[in-house]
Amino acid sequence: MTVFNGASGRTLILTAVLGLGLPLAGFISPSVADEHRVTGEAPGAFVVEDGRVDPNTYEGYIAYTRVCMACHGPDGLGSSFAPSLIRAAERRGWADFAGTIAAGREVQPGQVMPSFADDPFVLANMENIFSYMRARGEGGLGRGRPKVIESMEEEAEALREEAEALEEEVESDDTARDKQADD
Amino acid sequence: MLREIGFAMTAAGLMAASLAHANQNQLELQQNPEYWATQLGNYQGNRYSELDQINRDNVGELRSLWQFSTGVLRGHEGGPLYVGDGRLYIHTPFPNKVFALDLEDEGRVVWSYEPDQDSRVIPVMCCDTVNRGLAYADGRLFLGQADNTLIALDAETGELLWDVSNGDHTVGETNTMSPLVVHDKVIVGISGGEYGIRGHMTAYDVETGEQVWRGYSTGPDDEVLIDPETTTMLGEPIGESDLGVSTWPEGEWERGGGAPWGWITYDPDLDLIYYGTGNPGTWNPEQRTKDGEPADNKWAITVFARDPNDGSVKWVYQKVPFDEWDYDGVNENQLIDVEMNGEQRKGLAIIDRTGFGFLLDRENGELLVAEKFAPETNWADDYDMETGRPNVNEEFSTYRQGVGVNTTDICPTAMGAKNMQPSAYSPKTGLIYAGINRICMNYEPFEAEYVAGQPYVGATLTMMPSPMENGGMEGRMGSFIAWDPVAGETIWEVDERFAVWSGALATAGDLAFYGTLEGHVKAVDIETGEELWRFKTPSGIIGNVNTFMYEGKQHVAVLSGVGGWAGIGLAAGLEEPEEGLGAVSAFAALGDYTKLGGVLTVFALPD
Repeated sequence: MTVFNGASGRTLILTAVLGLGLPLAGFISPSVADEHRVTGEAPGAFVVEDGRVDPNTYEGYIAYTRVCMACHGPDGLGSSFAPSLIRAAERRGWADFAGTIAAGREVQPGQVMPSFADDPFVLANMENIFSYMRARGEGGLGRGRPKVIESMEEEAEALREEAEALEEEVESDDTARDKQADD
Repeated sequence: MLREIGFAMTAAGLMAASLAHANQNQLELQQNPEYWATQLGNYQGNRYSELDQINRDNVGELRSLWQFSTGVLRGHEGGPLYVGDGRLYIHTPFPNKVFALDLEDEGRVVWSYEPDQDSRVIPVMCCDTVNRGLAYADGRLFLGQADNTLIALDAETGELLWDVSNGDHTVGETNTMSPLVVHDKVIVGISGGEYGIRGHMTAYDVETGEQVWRGYSTGPDDEVLIDPETTTMLGEPIGESDLGVSTWPEGEWERGGGAPWGWITYDPDLDLIYYGTGNPGTWNPEQRTKDGEPADNKWAITVFARDPNDGSVKWVYQKVPFDEWDYDGVNENQLIDVEMNGEQRKGLAIIDRTGFGFLLDRENGELLVAEKFAPETNWADDYDMETGRPNVNEEFSTYRQGVGVNTTDICPTAMGAKNMQPSAYSPKTGLIYAGINRICMNYEPFEAEYVAGQPYVGATLTMMPSPMENGGMEGRMGSFIAWDPVAGETIWEVDERFAVWSGALATAGDLAFYGTLEGHVKAVDIETGEELWRFKTPSGIIGNVNTFMYEGKQHVAVLSGVGGWAGIGLAAGLEEPEEGLGAVSAFAALGDYTKLGGVLTVFALPD
């Protein structure tokens, strides 16, 4: 369920890109000085326009700052505790990136990445986090909380509503589960 | 100085008759100015030394005698102990190695000990795998391991005498703090406020490791060890029972945090221990309201005065009811005797996370002073001295601004205007010396779901240097200050590029020492703050500077090894406070200045 909702969010972004009449290509097209985009259905798509981003990438920033920043430092820059995820996204690619989030990793004694397989919020946002990291790297997005590209704000609103609905669903699932357990 | 030592010796003699064996030993040791027998120097937490061989005239000649690598990379908090047996006892972050080093032979390893711990404890340590050090009494060393095992070692041989479990890391409980030995008990708290644990302070028998008492930070009175008829709050009996339950929404006290992970101090005359409790569970204040209204969430962010014999609570003072900023109340409670309005008072001074410097009466918990030591502090305008409550500024109330709203430019940050780095107090000057943080934050609460052993945070934070003052250093993130705890004002201040995250030392040699995150140990004139000496250690300093006398020479020793919350949060540098203002280069990244690695450096004057 979670994954399906995430995927439908992605579709929204593709539509928006098409709507703007821009070429769809599976690579970065720095045709305008302050514009970077990676499009296509593969995870990691993003749009950066004058320092603003598409709604999924914005959600990626929020999710990163909630969950990953404590160890990986602000804005994906890395810390003394854990490496930069900007570089990790560049070097490792989606499968490795997602695999590490799901399974965790023991780098060396004293350096451990926990598994987030049981965290529905993280799982639902893995693609968004990946997009945000690629936007920070290849997309040249700067530090701090980005704004959403104005023409995409409606979509952002739709995404937020979707996310809220998802959260409620998770909660009602939990309630149902709890109820079952009680029974 | 001589008169003071004479008094100390007499006091030790009197104590010996009435107190248990272990306590007599620790008290005697800490009253000998040649030793550094407990992490904070003495029970009062003063981090002050009567030694004056190193003083402002000769400190410029101070040189390193030897250095010792611990072989551990993570943040090194705490410091070495010296109890007069020719060895320094040091510890490391996870895996919590312990070393006895021979002072005679440039730090040769006499023995070492390494516990066997489950590395799955590491991801449930919020702010690095730090440990604040060993405790000592009567030939035994005590260590709280990361995995909550409290151990006693034979100081002579390093042999394990006993071990006991003080918590469960699978529900997010961990240990970072240094235990304290009082009488025949070793007392230790718990970490895990970011994982929805329920904080507790526990006493164990020094001989056997058997649990003697445990007092929780939240919950019913009989588990907090409060008697509402006799336990006081601001000088009056609490009256109402079970406030540790009724000031929370249904059941939230069970994951209500209040982790006491900082320092414990002790007054041998009053026979009371003092410590503060941490943040109330999730950082999202909305989830801690009751019937839609802010609730006090007792007894999080509270100073506890307990009887060390049975844990019963003598008095409480809640510094921040209904926290909205993660202002963990764990900072050390320095016990100082002061004159106020012509009257002698037994004081308790706190350089608090909130940016306020508090002075309380440590006999009854009465609030005497609450003034800002970090002038940028804006979450509250001041404290109401009658009710003991802060007057919160709506603009920076993350609860009033609401869930999903990013409340901006709150000062100080969740790191606090001062974190765990212990301050020093000189009875000669009557001032407190402290390394502080000059950082502000944006804070956005979100709904957090409790899952045992998973983070239970519920807020998104970003940080930036605090606004400039006239004549201050641009982009500075820390200062070292001299604070008058009675007048409630800063006497002098030295700015530092990074937050000052090391414990301070004050000496009778008219010096104050501290370390910086770049890795400098500095000695400054205690009267003016003027820098008189510095030495660059191999890594940033979050440990404490300690001093002792060995074979007629005063030594200074410090653990370097960057890490801790500072090492995580500042490694990449902070954001600019406002777009277009200030030079980007001023907001430095710690990673450009220092890298990981634990080293002990020992200093003395040349022959």
